[in-house]
Formats: sequence, C-alpha cells, structure tokens
Amino acid sequence: MKKLLVFVLVGMVLFFAGCAQQQPQQATTPAGPKEETLYFGAPISLSGKFAEEGKASLYGMQVAAKWINEHGGVKVGDTTYKIEIKYYDDESKKENVQSLIERLATVDKVKFILAPYSSGLTLAAAPIAEKYQVLLNSHGGASDYIFEQGYYYVVQTLSPASKYQTGFLDMVKKLDPNAKRVALVYEDGEFSRAVHQAAKEYAEELGFEIVYEKTYPAGATDLSPILNELKATNPDVIIGGGHFADGQLLAKQLAELNINVKAISILVAPTFPEFYEALGNKAEGICGPAQWEVGARYTPDVADELGVEWYGPTQDEFLAMYKELAGEDAVPPYQAAEAAAAVLSYAKAIEKAQSLDPAKVREAMNGLKFMCLYGLWQIDPETGKQVGHEMDIIQWQNGEKKIVWPEAAATADPCYPMPTWDEKASGATCGS
Amino acid sequence: MKSYSPLITLLLAYLIMIAIGQSIPGMWQPVMLVIFYIAIGQALNVFLGMTGYVNFGYVALLGVGAYGMGVALGYYNELGLIPTLILGFILAAILALLVSAIVGGIALRLRGAYFAIATIGVNEGIKYLIMGAKIWGGSEGIVLSGILRKSFGAETMRFLSTTFADAGVIVVAIATGVVTAYILNSRLGYALIALREDEEAAKVMGINVTKYKQIAFMISCVLAGLIGATAWTLKLTYVFPQDVFAINYTVEAIVIVMLGGAGTLLGPLVGGLIYALLKYYLAIAFPGLQLLILAPLLIVVILLFPEGVVGYIAKKARGTRLENFVR
Repeated sequence: MKKLLVFVLVGMVLFFAGCAQQQPQQATTPAGPKEETLYFGAPISLSGKFAEEGKASLYGMQVAAKWINEHGGVKVGDTTYKIEIKYYDDESKKENVQSLIERLATVDKVKFILAPYSSGLTLAAAPIAEKYQVLLNSHGGASDYIFEQGYYYVVQTLSPASKYQTGFLDMVKKLDPNAKRVALVYEDGEFSRAVHQAAKEYAEELGFEIVYEKTYPAGATDLSPILNELKATNPDVIIGGGHFADGQLLAKQLAELNINVKAISILVAPTFPEFYEALGNKAEGICGPAQWEVGARYTPDVADELGVEWYGPTQDEFLAMYKELAGEDAVPPYQAAEAAAAVLSYAKAIEKAQSLDPAKVREAMNGLKFMCLYGLWQIDPETGKQVGHEMDIIQWQNGEKKIVWPEAAATADPCYPMPTWDEKASGATCGS
Repeated sequence: MKSYSPLITLLLAYLIMIAIGQSIPGMWQPVMLVIFYIAIGQALNVFLGMTGYVNFGYVALLGVGAYGMGVALGYYNELGLIPTLILGFILAAILALLVSAIVGGIALRLRGAYFAIATIGVNEGIKYLIMGAKIWGGSEGIVLSGILRKSFGAETMRFLSTTFADAGVIVVAIATGVVTAYILNSRLGYALIALREDEEAAKVMGINVTKYKQIAFMISCVLAGLIGATAWTLKLTYVFPQDVFAINYTVEAIVIVMLGGAGTLLGPLVGGLIYALLKYYLAIAFPGLQLLILAPLLIVVILLFPEGVVGYIAKKARGTRLENFVR
C-alpha cells in the first residue's frame, strides 16, 4: 500500500513538473530573423455543454490560420508572422475561462485572444482580458450587453442578438409593403428576449404595427392558448421561437390551429435539418435567421461589387480545408465560419496597424472593413459591436434550406407569401 | 489550544498558495481557482463531513448568495460603494440563511438518502422561481460591469472585480476553515460526530439531533452563500440563473470533500488542491481529453484512500509529532 502511494505521488509530481516545463518551451518558438510565429490564444469548450460548438469553432480557427500561413502569413514591417492557435479546454465553465485567459496573457504572452463560446463565458473572460489589456474577439457571444459594459478591448465578429430578426423584417418590407401586422411569440429566455425586444423596436421603426406580443416559459409543451389569442389579432407576419424544441412546437401548433400568415421567422429551430425531418412539408416556407450557412454566396466578386476588400479562403477552399481537419463527411456549422472570421479579422487588423500592440490593433479595427466567406466585418468603433455582418435568412423550399436574404448571399428567391397550411396539407411546397 | 494547531497547517497552505500566485506570472487565477474549490469543499464539509448527510441542493446556496450580492450591486448601488458591498454580504448571508432554514426545517426530518433526494429539487426549484416569476431580471440575470462602471468609475470596477473579489474569496475560504476548526472542537462538533456514527444512539444519549443537524446545515449554507457572493458575483460581474444554479458544482464539492477526507479540517484543502490542479494542468496538457484522464485518477485516489487523503495521513500520523497538525 505504502509503495503504491509513493508511486502515485511521485508520478503526480513528475507529471506536474512535465506540464510546467512543457508549456514555456512551446511558447518560445525559435525565431528566424524575418519569420516568426504569432500565437492567437483561445479558451475553447472541448468538453461540457458547448463541446460541439467548441470543436467546430476550433476547426474554423485552424482552417483560417492555415489559409493565412499558406498565403504569405501576416506582414508587419519586414517580419512575416505565421499564425498559430494556442488553445486550452475551458470545459464550458466560467472559472476555468478566467484562469486560462490569464495563462494565455501572461505565461504564453498572447496578445490576441479568441473569446470562449457563448455570451456568459465571453462576459467572464472580459474583465481578465481588460486587466491584462489583451484583445478579446467574440465569435460565439452574441448578446449585446457584453458590448454595453464599456470594455474597450472586447470586439465582436458575429452579429449581435439585436440583429437576428431584423433582416427578416427588411425582407418582408421590401417584398410586400402592405404587410404591416406583426405578431411576436417567443420563449422567455435571456437570448430570445434580447432578440425579440430589438426586433420589436426595429419593426416599429420600419413602420410595422405590433399587433400581438407574448412570451412562453422555457420548456413549454403547449402554445395553443397563446396561439388562439394570436389568431384573433389577424397578423400578416409572425416572428418568434427560442430554442429547437419550442420552435418546432410553434410551427406544429400554428399548422394544427390553421393560422395562416404571409411569412414566419422562427429563431434557431429552422436552421437544423431535423426541423424538416420532424415537420415534413409543413416546414415549407418557414424562415429562420442564421449567422451563416454553407452556400452563402459571399465571394470575391460580391466583395468587388460592394467595393470592399476580400480576405481569406473562398467557401470551396474553406469546405475542403475543414474536411481535412474534421473528417470526410464534416459540414462546417456556422460556429466554424464565425471563428474563422475572427482569426481573419485579427490578421487583417494587425497588418493594417503594422503593430502587435493590442491598443494599436484595436484602433486599426475601428476603420477596418472587409469581406470573407462569413460576410462583411465591420465594428462600431465605440462599443466594438459587430455592425457589418448581416444575418442570413434561410427558408425551407422544396425540402431544401435556401438562403433568401440578404441579397448578396442569397441562393434562392424568397417564397412569399408562404403556402397556406391547407395547401401544404395537400402536398404543396414552395416553388411547386 | 492544542486542538486548533491544524489551523496552522491550513493558514500556511493558504500563505504558500498566495505567495506562488503573486510571484509567478500567470499563476494568480489558477491559485484563485484552487481556493474557490477548497472553499466550496470546506463549506460543504461543515455539513456533509460532520453529519454524513449529502446535500444535493448545495449549489443553490451559492446561487442565492450570488444573487444577494448581485441585487445589492445592481439595484441599490446609489447607497455608495461601501454600504452597497456591506448590504451585498448581508443579503447574501440572509438569503442563504432563509433558504437553509426552510429547506433544513423540512428536509432534515428525513434520514440519509431520503434527505439527499429531498434536496435535489431545491436547486431547480429556485432557478425556475427566479426565471418564471421574473424576479431580479428573470432569465436575463443581472449584468454588473456596466452598472459598476457607471456608478463607481472604471478603476473601482476593475478593483472590485479583481483585487477585491479575490481577497474576498480568500477571506471567506479562510473563515470557513476557522469555523470548521471551531466546530470540530466544540460541543456542536462532538454532537455531530456522534450522530454521524449512529443517529439512534446519539438520540438516546440525549443529543437533540434535529437541532444540531439544522445548525450545521445553516452554517454550511451561509458560508456557501458568501462564496457565491464573492467568487461569482464580484469576480465574474454577472449573475445568470443558468450559470449559478448549475448542479455540477454540487458534485464537484462532494468529490473534493470525499477526496480529501470528510469531516476533517484539512480534507477540503487537500481535496481541492488535487482536484483543481489536476483539472487545470490536464486541461492545458491534453485539451479536450482531461476529463477522461481525471476520472480514473480520482478513482485511484479514492481506492487508495477510502477515508480521504487527510483521513489516511491523520491515521498514519497518530502518535508522531505531526499528530497535532493534521486533522
């Protein structure tokens, strides 16, 4: 027993010693005179509740870094920097994030950090990043409030929650100026509340009339009382949802109660293929916002037309490189594209600033505008909030998920007004 | 005074940790992580370790403590900085006390496993109460950094969320240790240990077991509330219901207590050190695989030391000069 104890203890001591020594060696890569390695740090959720999202974003970052390195790296003065991603697993936990950010900022001397996944973890990372004055680029924290706390070193690459449903409203306004009556039915959650409060304000700005607004609790299993009330208000457009299960329930019960409107946009649920599998052709014509979708037509040509610079891999290159890392059948989810865009934005901003000083790079970001496969990148100088990127609006058409908005990214024309539930029951689809 | 000497070991350990954190760059947050885990183990140990009852609703107390501080800073910050902070600590303690009085008053009439089952729902119950009734921001929680910056200025906000919060966690952690040492040497401690070993026998001997269990439960819960107020609200600058009422912290605290030795003063210290350091370094060395490695290591430790590491060492140290310093 005693021997075993000693053995285990010695093993542990050796193990820690090994870990402690291993890290600094990695951090100080032998540097040539003109070519050096620049580390972007990332606490990533490789386990815990955000494990799937975390893995996808890590692949996205690595693809972007690889592309940058294959295309000449990042040039500052006459030094060329190769990008490498230094990542640790935060287990989707707030305490771990703080420790890892500090480690990245002090031990690894990383100046540019890619924020952890989700708004909560990004918010936990922000005070530590600010303390060490390193940049924190949010690619998975959509909530607006992160950027309303006054953190200077925190910037955002993905669209904030407040923009999720605004594209859809723009689209409806353009397609049908007479559709005025909007009904809101959404989950009572921090995220969907933020999305729909902003959507409501935006709708009023555009001249829509909010005829109905109600929330339902998380985990609701029956929305029919709410939907019956909603039916009486005779809306043209419905926006709502929250997570997958309730979004699906919303669509299903709208069909059961035969509530016909011209267009529906549901948060989260419609972006999953399972949505169509569960609802069949009832899903036809239903829209939903997505940060990005495979097929979004952001290309160098589109960038040219808009008069902005293109940077990064094209979508085909991205898909191919992603498969090399994640496996033959892997299709990148939007988390991968977001994370890749965050890496690209750092590279671009560093080149623009011609400096590795986070404060100077942050300043350079203020005037930075470019397009990559994820879409436009431009931040609000004061808050760091993303203002360039637009949400893709997807719509189920003929059993396929098509991008119908914004026009720059669209892969199909919107199907408007959507077929009625009766038409769908007799087999009608969008485009049939 | 002899029986308080294990406290020397405890304080020394904290001193060493703080010194390491301050002198080696990049070690401060990891040290704070370790101290956080020690603290939640230490506070749970007051109840679990001494009575043998498992409180599965433990994290709810950290949660209401976090809310106590969050409510003070978020809604009553016009009182001025220091009164607000004091109010925060008082609210955290009172909320934890209230919850523990109610939960304990009802559930502690149950024995062993039935108590554990009764406490499982507490955490989810409070979470859904806050979200469903939309109190204190409901599901949107309370985000403080902007509010603190506006009311007290950016410098103060940074000081609060870093130096002050860390100092707070350390003070609370040490306080939990001191309270544990006090209980171990008091009539309360003897009563608790008696009832842990055999509740019927303790009752027959004239110990009011329900009363002592309730006292231990409430002490444990108030300490947990203060940890929530410092380690979460102050340090992270936000309170989200889903984040603070996360059951994994209960499980982690139980693991730490069992690892180090239930009912010992130094158990949570050793358990927290082993658990947090292993987790931190494994996450760095093998990102994504650390839990696969951590689990078997923990099983090995538990198999080698069924009474916890400190329980084992205390047994070995009996009759040696070290005896007084390990408990």
